[in-house]
Amino acid sequence: MTGLDRDSASADALLTDLYLDAILAGAVRDALAGGSPDGIGDRLDPGVRRAADRLRRDLVRVHPSFRFEERLAARLAEAAVALRVPLAAGAEGRLVPFPAQGLGPTTGDDGAALLPGSDIDVPVDAAAADLAADLAAAAAQRDRSRPLIIGGALTSAALSLAGAAFVAWRFGRPGRAATPMARAARAVREARHVAPRARLAVPGVEDLVPDRRRPRRLD
Amino acid sequence: MARPVFGRTSAPDPVAPANGDAPGRIAHLDRDRPLVEAAQRDPLRFDALYRRYLAQVYSYAYYELGDHHEAEDVTERTFLAALANLARFEERARPADGEGASTFRVWLFQIARNAVANHRRGRRRHPQAPLEAAALVADPLDVEGGAALREEGAAAWQAVGRLPADRRRALVLRFVEEMSTAEIAGVLGRSEGAVRVLIHRALRTVARDLRGRTGPAARPPEPDGR
Repeated sequence: MTGLDRDSASADALLTDLYLDAILAGAVRDALAGGSPDGIGDRLDPGVRRAADRLRRDLVRVHPSFRFEERLAARLAEAAVALRVPLAAGAEGRLVPFPAQGLGPTTGDDGAALLPGSDIDVPVDAAAADLAADLAAAAAQRDRSRPLIIGGALTSAALSLAGAAFVAWRFGRPGRAATPMARAARAVREARHVAPRARLAVPGVEDLVPDRRRPRRLD
Repeated sequence: MARPVFGRTSAPDPVAPANGDAPGRIAHLDRDRPLVEAAQRDPLRFDALYRRYLAQVYSYAYYELGDHHEAEDVTERTFLAALANLARFEERARPADGEGASTFRVWLFQIARNAVANHRRGRRRHPQAPLEAAALVADPLDVEGGAALREEGAAAWQAVGRLPADRRRALVLRFVEEMSTAEIAGVLGRSEGAVRVLIHRALRTVARDLRGRTGPAARPPEPDGR
C-alpha cells in the first residue's frame, strides 16, 4: 500500500467516523426522513452507508433477564459487605492531634488543625481539633505528643491493654488465692518440699532408700 | 501514533486546571465520578454503577460469545472483578474527551474484554450468530413485516459474526454500546486512527456480505480471521 492509498483510506475512515457520529446521534436519520441528507452521507461510499444504516437498525442492545440482574445484584452486595469488613475493624479511624503539655492544637493557613510536634503538616478537620482540645485538657499532666487513632482500633487496643494489665497485676499480686483448687495445689506443692526433710529426720530410713551413689556390697 | 488519553502522561497537561492537581495528572472530568467516588468510599454504593452498565456489559458479552448463559457468566465475573479492584481505579479523562466521557466505562469494558478472552480460552468454540436475538427488533403485531425484519436482522447479525474478532468487536462497541472512537481506542488498546480504519473496513466487509446475499451472485463469506 502506497502512502497515497494510506492517506485515502484514512480519509475514508474519517468520513465514515463522522457519518457514524451523526447517525448514532440521530441527526442523519432525521435528515434522511425529511428527504434532505446532509453532505457527509453523499460523500460516503453508498455500500458503506447502507451497511452502517442497517447495522444501526439491527444491532440492538440485549438486556439480561430480571432474575439474573437481581441475583448478580445480591451477589455484589454480599461481596461489598465483605469488602466493608476491614473498614469496620478500625480502618475508618482518623488521626487526631494529641498535643504536648501546654500546647493547644495548632492550625494551618487554611484553618485546618495540624499535628503538633511534627514537621509533617497533616490537616485534620475542625471536629477532630475540638476533640483534641478536650483530650489535651484531660491529660494535662502528661506529655504525649503522639497522635491517636480514634475509632474501632481504639476499642480493640483498649481491651488488649486492659487484658495485659490484668494479667500482669495478677502475676505480680502478693498474697494467696483462696479458691479450693488453689489451696489443693499449694498443699501438694508444700508436701513435696517438706516430705524429704521429714524422711531424713527418721533414723534408719536412709537405709531403706537405695542409694545409687554407694557401691553395693556383693557378699 | 498511540493516543495517551487513558495512560499516564509524564509532561504537565496544558489543560489541567490549577486546582491543586499534581503536575502531569490528567484533569478529572469523568461523568461517573460521583458514583465511582461513592462506591470507593462505600462498596455497597457500587450498585448504582452496576445498574447503569449491566445491559451494556451483558450485550457486549452476548455479541462476543453468542450464548446467554456464557454472557451471564462473563458479566458476573466482570462486575465482581470491577468491585474488587475499584479502589485501584483512577480516572483519566481529559477535557478533549468531551462531556460524556467515562473512563470508568472504558475500564469496565477492558475488564469485560479480558473476561471474554479468558472464557473463550476455556472453550475454543466458534461463536454462533444467535438468530433469536434478531426477533428483538421485529414488531410482534406485524407478522409479515416482522418475519422480513427478522430475516434482515439475522443476516446482519450473521454478517457481523463472520467478521474477524477485532473488527467485530469494534463494530459492536460502536453500534451497540454507542462508544466514541476514543473510548473504543481505550478499550481495544489501539489508536483512534487505527480504530477508524478498523470500523471502516468492517463496514465495507459487511456491505459486501449483505450485497452478496441479496444480489444474484452470492459470494461465500470471508474466512474468519479469529
